[in-house]
Amino acid sequence: MSQPLLEVMDLSRRFGGLLALDRVNFAVQPGEIFGLIGPNGAGKTTLFNLISGVTPPSSGAVLWRGGAITGQAPHRLNRLGLARTFQNLRLFEGLSVLDNLLVALQRRPRSSVIGGVLNSANHQHAERQRLDTAWQLLEELGLSALAERQAGTLAYGDRRRLEMARALATRPELLLLDEPAAGLNPAEKDQLCELIGALRQRHQLTVMIIEHHVPLLMRLCDRLAVLDFGVRIALGTPAEVRRDPQVIEAYLGTGGSAS
Amino acid sequence: MIEALLQLLLNGAASGGVYALVALGYTLVFSVLGVINFAQGALFSVGGYLTFLLMGGKIGVNGALPGWGLPSGLPFWLALLLAAAGSGLIGLLVEQVAFAPLRRRNAEPLLALITSLGAGVVLVNLLQLLMGAEGYAFPQSTDALAGLPDVLVIGGARIRTIQLLLLLISAAAVLVLSLWLERSKGGRALRAVAEDATTAQLLGIPSAAMVRLAFFLSGALAGLGGGLIGVSVSLPGPYFGISYGLKGLAVLVLGGLGSVPGAIAGGLLMGLAEALVPSAASGWRDALAFAILFAVLLLRPSGLLGRRTVEKV
Amino acid sequence: MIDNGLLVQMLLGALLGLSVYLPLAAGQLSLATPAFYAVGGTLAALLSTRWSALGATASGGFPVPSLLLELVLGGLLAGLLALLVGRLVLRLQGIYLAIATIALVEIVRVAILNLPFTGGAVGIFAIPQPFATAAGYLLPALALLALAGWLCQRLEGMPLGRAMAAIRDDELAARCMGIDTTRVKLTAFVLSAVLAGSTGALAAHFLNTWNARQGSFDASITTLAFVILGGSRTWLGPVVGGLLLTALPELLRPVGDVRLVLFGLVILLGPVLAPQGLITPGLLERLGRWGERRGGSPAEEVKP
Repeated sequence: MSQPLLEVMDLSRRFGGLLALDRVNFAVQPGEIFGLIGPNGAGKTTLFNLISGVTPPSSGAVLWRGGAITGQAPHRLNRLGLARTFQNLRLFEGLSVLDNLLVALQRRPRSSVIGGVLNSANHQHAERQRLDTAWQLLEELGLSALAERQAGTLAYGDRRRLEMARALATRPELLLLDEPAAGLNPAEKDQLCELIGALRQRHQLTVMIIEHHVPLLMRLCDRLAVLDFGVRIALGTPAEVRRDPQVIEAYLGTGGSAS
Repeated sequence: MIEALLQLLLNGAASGGVYALVALGYTLVFSVLGVINFAQGALFSVGGYLTFLLMGGKIGVNGALPGWGLPSGLPFWLALLLAAAGSGLIGLLVEQVAFAPLRRRNAEPLLALITSLGAGVVLVNLLQLLMGAEGYAFPQSTDALAGLPDVLVIGGARIRTIQLLLLLISAAAVLVLSLWLERSKGGRALRAVAEDATTAQLLGIPSAAMVRLAFFLSGALAGLGGGLIGVSVSLPGPYFGISYGLKGLAVLVLGGLGSVPGAIAGGLLMGLAEALVPSAASGWRDALAFAILFAVLLLRPSGLLGRRTVEKV
Repeated sequence: MIDNGLLVQMLLGALLGLSVYLPLAAGQLSLATPAFYAVGGTLAALLSTRWSALGATASGGFPVPSLLLELVLGGLLAGLLALLVGRLVLRLQGIYLAIATIALVEIVRVAILNLPFTGGAVGIFAIPQPFATAAGYLLPALALLALAGWLCQRLEGMPLGRAMAAIRDDELAARCMGIDTTRVKLTAFVLSAVLAGSTGALAAHFLNTWNARQGSFDASITTLAFVILGGSRTWLGPVVGGLLLTALPELLRPVGDVRLVLFGLVILLGPVLAPQGLITPGLLERLGRWGERRGGSPAEEVKP
């Protein structure tokens, strides 16, 4: 087996008296789409927050290509190659769609403050590159027509895609998607599914995805982990997880079919 | 040695009591609306001048109506009470003009900071227009002190009677208010609104009325503080409340935003700390409150007794 | 009604407005501008009255290059202070940051009042004059304002400025997009201080005397009002706010003592009547379109 891109080892997080995550373990291989499912309050978003550095873990470790990154600041993790979206959408709502991407592109390429103030040739070149990349991404996610719109005025589905575009703009190797299909209609969900697959190909991405819509996950993911009350109760391919008796009992419930 | 310590405690507690009054005023409004009423210092001035006028003080030569004053003065305690009530009413007015319009349109909380400051500027300058910029001294013997010596000796420590009175009155006000908040129906309703305005509304607690109550009480506390300081020291000019307002702010943070016990403990602590400053360095005393505030903010941003808040992602 | 002296004051007001605007553009409500203004002014007052190498003449004159040196030094000292203080206070959020910066203003004020070499309550007086009349100050004030405005304009097309706007909108999301928010906030805070420090150095000469009252809580409020009333979404807002509000008390002088009450009313009612301030991006856009129709230069297009 190759070196995992991301490893989570005995990761726990306590909020006061509540153990939100309890010694969770798994590894994500390069290039795979890795799903996280579980009932509300199972600790999925908490896990994303720990991995992306938003919340420090109470104990345990997170490894990136075998090296410890536990508790590092979010911007450092992002620069390592880890980008995320948010369950409740956190766009820069006052900025234009294009500017949302330019913010994320500020290190592609890097340019100096002095050069920027003096509007040097280097700076102008960097700005052109940023604009090119931004327009490419907008094109790719079907947002070109909305480029000048203020992000806060977009329709829900467009916002979801803008958030993905913004995360992609930081050129991640690992993309964490927190309920990207929430609030979308069935047709949009299908499109999203295809989009994620296509993005993985084109950007050589590894994807971790939290989703409530089980059929979508089963179709999309190479492997899944199931969380229940902060404990990882299952891990495996969709077919394996579907057969797991603990999962059937805890999550899919009586008669709950996973397809 | 013990006498010196007692002296220190008494001095510190006397000024600390007033700081606690001001901080408590901020706390009431902050806990209900989550905003800071920057007009608090101006209301402090208003209380001082109202007390002065009600006790029969006459307007000076630079005022709008030189020589004007009440035909006969009220006794100290009544004047103080009425002045506090008057400041409370003006506090209500500040709420109506500076806070309510912004709340109705769900404006940024930052704007309330500006409008309340504006209200403070208006109040202080109205005072200046009416009373002139000069200082006023209260008549030496006030009714409340009639028959009492100017200076009392307690366990070897000397304290001016008026300062002891100041300490007792602020202690009583603080005590009554905290008991009221803790025990009474109205106080519990106020705290319920502070916890969660929407739920309180659903439970039938009229939150608009509670907001007004908070502003009234807050203004009254500031007015009380102003009256007490005016009587025990003097009224050095319409702006004198501003520095108390600023120190109250320091106390507020020291104790933790929105915490009633914190405001009281913070006030006393601040008073004591200032009393500890040797007189050779008295010029620096005004910076002490802010140096402490600075230290507290950096070591424990939620204050000594405040609650920590966690941002939800 | 507006003489040269008032014009200089208005320009200084606009500069201070920009100083408050810079951290606010990164979402940080700092009221520390008067502290840095006081530091810059005090430094200039001390240097020009005590350090003969700067070339103050017996008749109270002062070489212009020395003034420029003081502008730089005043800005640097204020920036250094901001660098030290900013690391600590910028961890605080919202109203806590505002209160901490008020505390800084008060500490600096009391320090200037009590330090053995700053002249106590009277302050430092007879600060030498590089220009014979108030009109002479117009040029440096205007140049400083042009420089600051140009910087703010450049920021909008730069990663730093975009990062500031992003932090203002959503700091956490900005961090997750790889932005070192601590560094960006600190940069904005230091820029704000440098601007205020240089402005203070110029003001010390212009005002001729300098004391602790120059940087007080009142000034925190007034400068914040410049930004709130002018509008905090574009750098032109604080400039317009600073120009207008500095002129206002003077223009109101005919009404006598009521003027300060009216000034307070403006601060009180302004945010209620115009929550976005006078100058908003929308207004500028409309003005731009109007200019275009009138045959002005077309706005730059940002298309591939």
